[in-house]
Amino acid sequence: MMLILGCRSSRSNTESVRLVYWSSNNQDEIDLARQVVDRWNRLHPDIPVHHQPVPEGESSEEVILAAVVGKTTPDIYSNMWPGDVASYVRAKQLVCLDTFFDYDSVALDRYSEDMLNQARSPDGHTHQILWKTNPIMLIYNKRMFREVGFDDPPRTHSEYLMAAEKMTRDIDGDGYVDQWVGVTDIRARWRDRLFDFYPLYIAASGGRTLIDSGEITFDNEIAVGIFRFFQAIYENGYFPREITTVRRDFFLHETAGSRITGPWEIAHTEKFKPEGFEYDFSPVPVPDGVQEPYYTYGDYKSIVVFKNTKYPREAWEFVQFMISEENDLKLLKIATQLPVRGDVLENPLFRSYFDNNPKMVAFARQAAYVRGIDSSPTLKEVFDAISQEFEACVVYGAKSPEEAVRDAGKRARLVLE
Amino acid sequence: MQESGPGWCWNEGHTVKRDRIGYVFIFPYAFHFLLFLAFPLFFSFVLIFHRWDILSPMEWVGLNNFVKLFQDSLFFKSLLNTLVFLVIHIPLQIVVALFIAEMLNQQIRFRGVFRATFFLPVVVSGVVVSMLWSQLYAQDTGLLNSLLTSMGLGRVNWITSARMAMPSVAIVATWKNVGLYIVLFLVGLQSVPKSLYEAADIEGATHWRKFIHITLPMINPTMFMVVVLSTIGGFSLFIEPVIITGGGPMNSTLSAMLYIYKQGFNFYHMGYAATMGFFFAAIVLLVVILQRKVVEKDVTY
Repeated sequence: MMLILGCRSSRSNTESVRLVYWSSNNQDEIDLARQVVDRWNRLHPDIPVHHQPVPEGESSEEVILAAVVGKTTPDIYSNMWPGDVASYVRAKQLVCLDTFFDYDSVALDRYSEDMLNQARSPDGHTHQILWKTNPIMLIYNKRMFREVGFDDPPRTHSEYLMAAEKMTRDIDGDGYVDQWVGVTDIRARWRDRLFDFYPLYIAASGGRTLIDSGEITFDNEIAVGIFRFFQAIYENGYFPREITTVRRDFFLHETAGSRITGPWEIAHTEKFKPEGFEYDFSPVPVPDGVQEPYYTYGDYKSIVVFKNTKYPREAWEFVQFMISEENDLKLLKIATQLPVRGDVLENPLFRSYFDNNPKMVAFARQAAYVRGIDSSPTLKEVFDAISQEFEACVVYGAKSPEEAVRDAGKRARLVLE
Repeated sequence: MQESGPGWCWNEGHTVKRDRIGYVFIFPYAFHFLLFLAFPLFFSFVLIFHRWDILSPMEWVGLNNFVKLFQDSLFFKSLLNTLVFLVIHIPLQIVVALFIAEMLNQQIRFRGVFRATFFLPVVVSGVVVSMLWSQLYAQDTGLLNSLLTSMGLGRVNWITSARMAMPSVAIVATWKNVGLYIVLFLVGLQSVPKSLYEAADIEGATHWRKFIHITLPMINPTMFMVVVLSTIGGFSLFIEPVIITGGGPMNSTLSAMLYIYKQGFNFYHMGYAATMGFFFAAIVLLVVILQRKVVEKDVTY
């Protein structure tokens, strides 16, 4: 009760409230935020919200960090990567949302107990509302897979390797391969592993993440299997050894038959696809014998309220408004991103959207089986350890998968300590 | 009593007034120096003895950051990588800059246009230059490999082989900065007295002999400056590996600056990054002092 009272604002009747809300700075989300804020301001003239896209910087994470240090954070921020939440919680920068008396009902109205636990901080409290998710799936070129005998996309590692063997070819006869089964960035940056190793590890393990109860658990046979799968791909030249940034789009040029990606790919592909280009999405490949449901990595973004707000109660009211059904529909329509809610496919309000956007259905189905990232302030270093070993073993064959996974685990443990 | 000497003034009031004007003139630089150089330097020194992730309060760790540094094999690898880069970059920079400067010192048409063109990459953003070169270096779609295959030669793994990546990065850094050194060499070349060449012409000296026996000794001070500047510039190798290779393959282009940045701004180990920064600065200082001692003996002014 004390906590609830502590979170209530102490505003007097005469004091004017003003909340500052930062959204992501991509144009779709700016448009979405403007519409949401305009409506809120019409409905709640006594609690005006000022919207501003997160200021430009190398990454929004760095901008938020600078704002925290400079004590210039907004009241509400809607593009928080859950991987960063633990650090801000440790630094006592976020409002504890589960101290609001209606938090549980609001959150459980939106998603399951399991999701609620995923959003929990290491201290046992919850400081974020999981707002949107981008399940990571395999986008594939239907024609290219059909031509190598796959009417349906490959489901398992062995099927994928079979398709790869047939699809990898020297089309123009110059002695060099110019068509591959897939493409991924070979650089050893920690975040690149969120789009190759990590979703495949989650899928192969039936939904396990890297850390369990504060202990590193990924250095196991499953991870070795994923390293071995990717090593076979690079060893046989099924993926190009390319750094893919600012290069031509291998997938849209039909020189790569597939790619591991999220729902943002739909808008991009629809805009730039060549005539007659056929594509679809499927879950990422799993080792033989893994049964449905197939899990994957869900690239979540959360809404948080910063502790320097003078009006936590009003900020929480605005957060509830943001995650209402009407605004979730706007999130789908304007930003082509999935709201984190259990009823996204059943709710009649969203039905017409999915009827008109059938490609999003695969992501909405997959959204029920996603895992985020572990809540640890040193998670980036854990990913960096995996990334370094992944590069050495998978891309350059300098280590065996067993050695690489063992060394990654060893280094990750040191980091956690 | 009147004082004599350089600070002499006819009365005290006038001296104070004159000093105030002086302070006003030095204020912008002093302000910049204190805020952006002296304070960060002092703060970094304090950080050496602390663990700090920006968000949490600083924690005193004594000399632990140094212990960690001497056990960190990746830091020493990054130092070695930087050394490899310098060994390739400095001679390449000098040879290319001097060759082009010599060409531009001749009476050729559009000389001004050529000079401006060669200087252009210096003023272009390092990020843009690096992105451009990463396209040229692309293994399967890059222009360089297309040219090689059209000539019947094999493709080169410019940035995806641990052996080739650092030389490729050095080529980019050289291309980006060579314009500045061309200008310096041009100034040096134009200061060589023409009478020396005329005398050599009378003696029947070839172009090569004139270059070796007149030009090179006469531009020795410029050469020394170029070596020192490109050494210091080379030690701060950062943008090219960040954009082109990300420090790979297998950390072969991980420069010391990039590693320090990664520890500081990716993983927020500010104390450790500051420790590496000071250690690295000490190495740079030592190298520059050595250069002065070794090279300066031969410099002709």
